[in-house]
Amino acid sequence: MNFYITYFIIAAGLFAFVGIFTLAGVYAERKISAFIQNRLGPTETGKFGTLQTFADILKLLQKEIIVPAAADKILFLLAPGIIFVAVYLGFAALPWAPGLIPSNINIGLYYIFAIISIETLGILMAGWGSNNKYSILGAMRSAAQIISYEIPAGFALIAVVMIAQTLNLQDIALQQGILSTEKIKFLGLADVTSAGGILAWNIFQAPHLLIAFVIYFIASLAESNRAPFDIPEAESELVAGFHTEFTGPQFALVFLAEYSMMFLVSMVGVILFLGAWNTPLPNIGSVHLATWTTGAVWGVIWILLKTLGLVAVQMWIRWTLPRLRVDQLMNLCWKVLTPLAFACMLISGVWRLWVM
Amino acid sequence: MVQVMFYVMSFVTLGSAFIVAAGKNLVRSIFMFFITLFGLAGLYVLALADFVAVTQVVIYVGGILVLILFAFMLSGKQALAALDQQKSKFISLKNFPAFILAGLFLVVMLNIILKANAPGLQWIQDAKSGHNIIPVNESMVNNIGINLMTRYLLPFEVISVLLMLALVGAAHLARKEEKV
Repeated sequence: MNFYITYFIIAAGLFAFVGIFTLAGVYAERKISAFIQNRLGPTETGKFGTLQTFADILKLLQKEIIVPAAADKILFLLAPGIIFVAVYLGFAALPWAPGLIPSNINIGLYYIFAIISIETLGILMAGWGSNNKYSILGAMRSAAQIISYEIPAGFALIAVVMIAQTLNLQDIALQQGILSTEKIKFLGLADVTSAGGILAWNIFQAPHLLIAFVIYFIASLAESNRAPFDIPEAESELVAGFHTEFTGPQFALVFLAEYSMMFLVSMVGVILFLGAWNTPLPNIGSVHLATWTTGAVWGVIWILLKTLGLVAVQMWIRWTLPRLRVDQLMNLCWKVLTPLAFACMLISGVWRLWVM
Repeated sequence: MVQVMFYVMSFVTLGSAFIVAAGKNLVRSIFMFFITLFGLAGLYVLALADFVAVTQVVIYVGGILVLILFAFMLSGKQALAALDQQKSKFISLKNFPAFILAGLFLVVMLNIILKANAPGLQWIQDAKSGHNIIPVNESMVNNIGINLMTRYLLPFEVISVLLMLALVGAAHLARKEEKV
């Protein structure tokens, strides 16, 4: 029975991590937005305002859960839970370091892709359950957007899978560093199996994956409803979109889901394209930087740094670019990203056959 | 443990399916259907068909269910109100054909299950004696992929053409007629 206890501890640990990440993420988002807009951001609570988000969450948890009189009560109360659980389940298959993965399943990537599509359902549930025009408009927009952008994202992922020849995320991670059992070629030319480092990352193993990464990154912004794709919660038109009616702990859950989604999609991007937990430092001659900086602890540090970097880029984009209109959004998805993703997939096949 | 899981999953699947069929509230029925599909995915996992389980979630939960919800939310209030007012008597003349169909289907299914004697089938025996079996812990996806691209390539392509036709047809129907 011991391993059941381990499972529970791992699940609780991941939940704690998600919570702490959200608190830090909200603080970082406010500080970054303040920096970009030439403001100060939170300064009062704690040193440099660091306790601001803790104060916020305390306030949110104490608040009453208000259910609108006309709402469908069951759907309304369940919706934030489903939205969060859908994202949280995805964390089960993410590798953190060599040998450190909550659940090493051989279809990890496919599983994550499947499980985050449940979030759409939760959002529709929230929109319908609130019985509110703004909410349902937001929910419909969100569902339409997530379903559309799943297609370029999916094909960008397939492009990687065709290169890696596996759906197991831990195996994909292993193939991008000095621990790889296969031969790694930098840009398909130089053998860098022993050098590792940044040269062995997927985007440098096959250069067209750089385009696939950009496609995936744009699509992942849309899937987590982040600006410039935040028409589902467009403040100027829809109040707050599908979470207009939520208060207190429910609102906190919706926010938790949004930030964990940001982290999840960034981490999947890092694992597939940016070398997962592998070090960016290559072995140069007798200076074995890569060998020194590979290991369980280093793995966690590297993957956290890379993922937080991507999250920071997401925030930077949010506070820099204006929101897209619906038609621009769909044009971008169907006329630009989808054909490009198809092209990437085709190149991947050719690359695997003739170059690797 | 696996057996307990199986019964829990089956209970969830059957119970939620019953609520879907008997529920008055159409939207809640749709969301309940999500639980049915998810329970089915769980049953697939217990049958060691993890790929089928995840595909079930991708296609039915992520795709079809959301489409059903879309269709539901885009349809007018009047159509839905008419549905609500319909008196749903369990036994009525209207439901008679449905009852016959369901009953016949049940008979067919029971017949198959009772007569098939699954462990004694010839090809299963052959596979067992010839050691032509995939072990549990081996990668299922690779096998499915290789078979789809070699042995079952023709059915696979035929299905893809069929889906393509459906897409083209849908696009044609949805297109606005040009006014002359």
